[in-house]
Amino acid sequence: MVETIKIKKGLDLPIGGEPLKEVIDARSIERYAVKPTDFVGFTPRLLVAEGDTVCAGQPLVEDKNDTRLRLPSPVGGTVTAIVRGEKRRLLEVVITSRTGSKSSTNQPNLTPDSPCWWMIKERPFGTIANPDHKPKGIFVSMRDTNPLAPDLDFALKGREHEFEAGIKALEAYGTVHCVKAQGPHPAGNIGTIVAALDPINKGECVWSVGAQDVANIGRWCLTGEYRPERVISVGGPAAKAPKHYRVLCGANVQRISDVQLMDTSYPNMTGSTTTSSTRIISGSPLSGTTIKADGFLGMYDQQLTFIEEGDQYDFMGWLMPGLKKFSFSKTFLSGLMLPFKAMEPLMPVKPSFSFNTNMHGSVRPFLFTGQFERVFPFDIYPLQLIKACIVGDVELQEKLGIYEVEPEDFALCEFIDPSKTEIQTIIREALEVLRKEAMA
Amino acid sequence: MNMKWLEQWFEKIEPKGKWAWLGSTYEAFHTFAFTPKTVTRSGSHIRDAVDMKRSIIIVVIALLPALLFGMWNIGYQTNLAAGTDWGFWHCFWFGLLRMLPMIVVSYVVGLSIEFAFAQVRHHEVNEGFLATGLLIPMIVPVTTPLWQLALAVAFAVIIGKEVFGGSGMNFLNPALVARAFLFFAYPTHMSGDKVWIANDLWGSDAIAGATPMGELAAGMHPSASAIDMLIGTILGSTCETSVIAIALGALLLLFTGIASWRIMLSVFLGGGLMGLLFNAIGYNEYMQLPFYYHFLMGGFAFGAVFMATDPVTAAQTNTGKWIYGLLIGAFAVLLRVCNPAYPEGMMLSILFMNCMAPLIDHCVVAQNIKRRAKRAAIGKEAHNG
Repeated sequence: MVETIKIKKGLDLPIGGEPLKEVIDARSIERYAVKPTDFVGFTPRLLVAEGDTVCAGQPLVEDKNDTRLRLPSPVGGTVTAIVRGEKRRLLEVVITSRTGSKSSTNQPNLTPDSPCWWMIKERPFGTIANPDHKPKGIFVSMRDTNPLAPDLDFALKGREHEFEAGIKALEAYGTVHCVKAQGPHPAGNIGTIVAALDPINKGECVWSVGAQDVANIGRWCLTGEYRPERVISVGGPAAKAPKHYRVLCGANVQRISDVQLMDTSYPNMTGSTTTSSTRIISGSPLSGTTIKADGFLGMYDQQLTFIEEGDQYDFMGWLMPGLKKFSFSKTFLSGLMLPFKAMEPLMPVKPSFSFNTNMHGSVRPFLFTGQFERVFPFDIYPLQLIKACIVGDVELQEKLGIYEVEPEDFALCEFIDPSKTEIQTIIREALEVLRKEAMA
Repeated sequence: MNMKWLEQWFEKIEPKGKWAWLGSTYEAFHTFAFTPKTVTRSGSHIRDAVDMKRSIIIVVIALLPALLFGMWNIGYQTNLAAGTDWGFWHCFWFGLLRMLPMIVVSYVVGLSIEFAFAQVRHHEVNEGFLATGLLIPMIVPVTTPLWQLALAVAFAVIIGKEVFGGSGMNFLNPALVARAFLFFAYPTHMSGDKVWIANDLWGSDAIAGATPMGELAAGMHPSASAIDMLIGTILGSTCETSVIAIALGALLLLFTGIASWRIMLSVFLGGGLMGLLFNAIGYNEYMQLPFYYHFLMGGFAFGAVFMATDPVTAAQTNTGKWIYGLLIGAFAVLLRVCNPAYPEGMMLSILFMNCMAPLIDHCVVAQNIKRRAKRAAIGKEAHNG
């Protein structure tokens, strides 16, 4: 049933802090948040107030543009905070869970009313699936190739029957393709898989569901219990004890970051954390979102990455040999060690680099060409599409294949870009213009 | 190495208030000393260690073998012509003293203009000129007067680059713009028999000596052997004669991935194919010349490695790069053989293809667009049917 695709272009980052194959149960975390900002194009309207008691699966927020799209509470408990940002923009609805609270169990099947609907994403644009659309395929990636991402076979161990039930439920909406991609990142991205099997044309759409969410949908359909559970990988060069954690979606990460940031040089200082110099990312280091040490996991994210902030000067960085710096180009001495891919099995330790968040340079116009193509497995000219997005030429964007991509598909291009352009932001903004035009 | 004191010094002298307009200049020197401490904000939280400065400095390092050889060769050629008996270091020292003023003039004039433009536009100073500024003195005859060089550099930076918006926005290779400016403005200083050998004494009469291509254009067989041309102990522009030194630079550019192997390879392919075609015709001495002589003579190798591969002015698509390179090589040999008025075809050939590169890319990308439109049409049919 599982299809395979083979990708050659791409790059697996040799990043340190790979998590051990060991799962810590963290489902007892008490605070959760639903963040409407995790959902592209979602205009939230609150359905609850502070102090309300909610049960797991009860909608907390709905989309003003389509009230069928609702975001449910991941646990039963009390709404303890509603966090707003600038211009009263709704950022977080915080729930404190109460043990023994029941989840609503009325209609255990997958309909737009069910609490699981948000797990289905739609391309182009990356929104929650529109129930009125008929997707030309539903894609499930069986391998997450992001750096430090969890091994999905490992994460789904013991949930096989739930996974199968989830697939069955999804089949009511279209053909489901479970795809295990081979090759370097971004092989496992939905964008890469769709481009390899059946690229999206203008006016078409595909849906995608995360493999662990398929199991969550399956559980809902089998038992009527809404419990959006995930095994997340917790790692990165700045993580002290990289491991896997079993959590519910939207969990507070305080308990995890306490352990990961513990300053081990002072064994007696219990509970003290060093957060100022470490960035915590919900999601992949290539496309995730920065959160605070007491922040909440993103709804779709299945990894938590700890990376040193690189806010330090680097003396003559452009001239130094750079044995410890990673570059996809071989302009640093470290590049001498990497070309011998064939020798990798012989090496006692896989070379790994402690990446930080430094830009490693200033922003420049595009000078070099032909680099993006090496990490971009699409039948698209990446530089030309990026330029079309910068100048806002909608027609040209369509011709060049904007509907086939999401910002995360450009993550590696952004990573290797010597001009330090914020490509993912550029692509997101272009897609938002198109999405709003399509809605109007 | 603890550089805290320098960090603090830079932070102390940061121009503020009435000096704030000097920001671009300050920024240029600051980022020269330190890679900035800027961190990522969104998107990819981690970034590749490579940046524009690193990439450009690789080009400069790749130029060094040719530059050093060129310095020695300047002295060696004067030595030969004068019939003196200089040692290795004497030759090198002589050439160094001839090259240094040209390099200094090129950098001072070019960078002053770059800084001025950046300052006026409140842009950061782009490091692209670090390569261009070294390239220009390397591709002119050694007897080029400094004032002419200064004019050419100014012309190249202003008209070749800045009027279009600076590095990355230009469509002609600035170094070749400078060379072309000299070639057309001061033709007597750029070609002929009197410009290739440096005088021992300032101001004395020019020493005559023809380059292999000069000899060929005059209908003679080149007096230098293929081995001499390969090593580079022949007359020519200052640093373009040694194919071996250029090859060393090419290896670095190809290993680091800074230059496109597609362009480099296809320029040689194009030139070779055209040479073979002329061999088959065999109408005159020049046509009968073995095809690989074209790679060894004049600026072919230098142009293929350092000029044609300039990513800004080359074709940007991979398919386009093949076409672009093939045509550069072919046109260069065509110009050399069929138009003796321009002994060196490489410069004009690259400049011409610089102009054509956007057109090539347009056609290549149009194929992609056509393919996508076709796919969409099939998809729609399947949907309706």
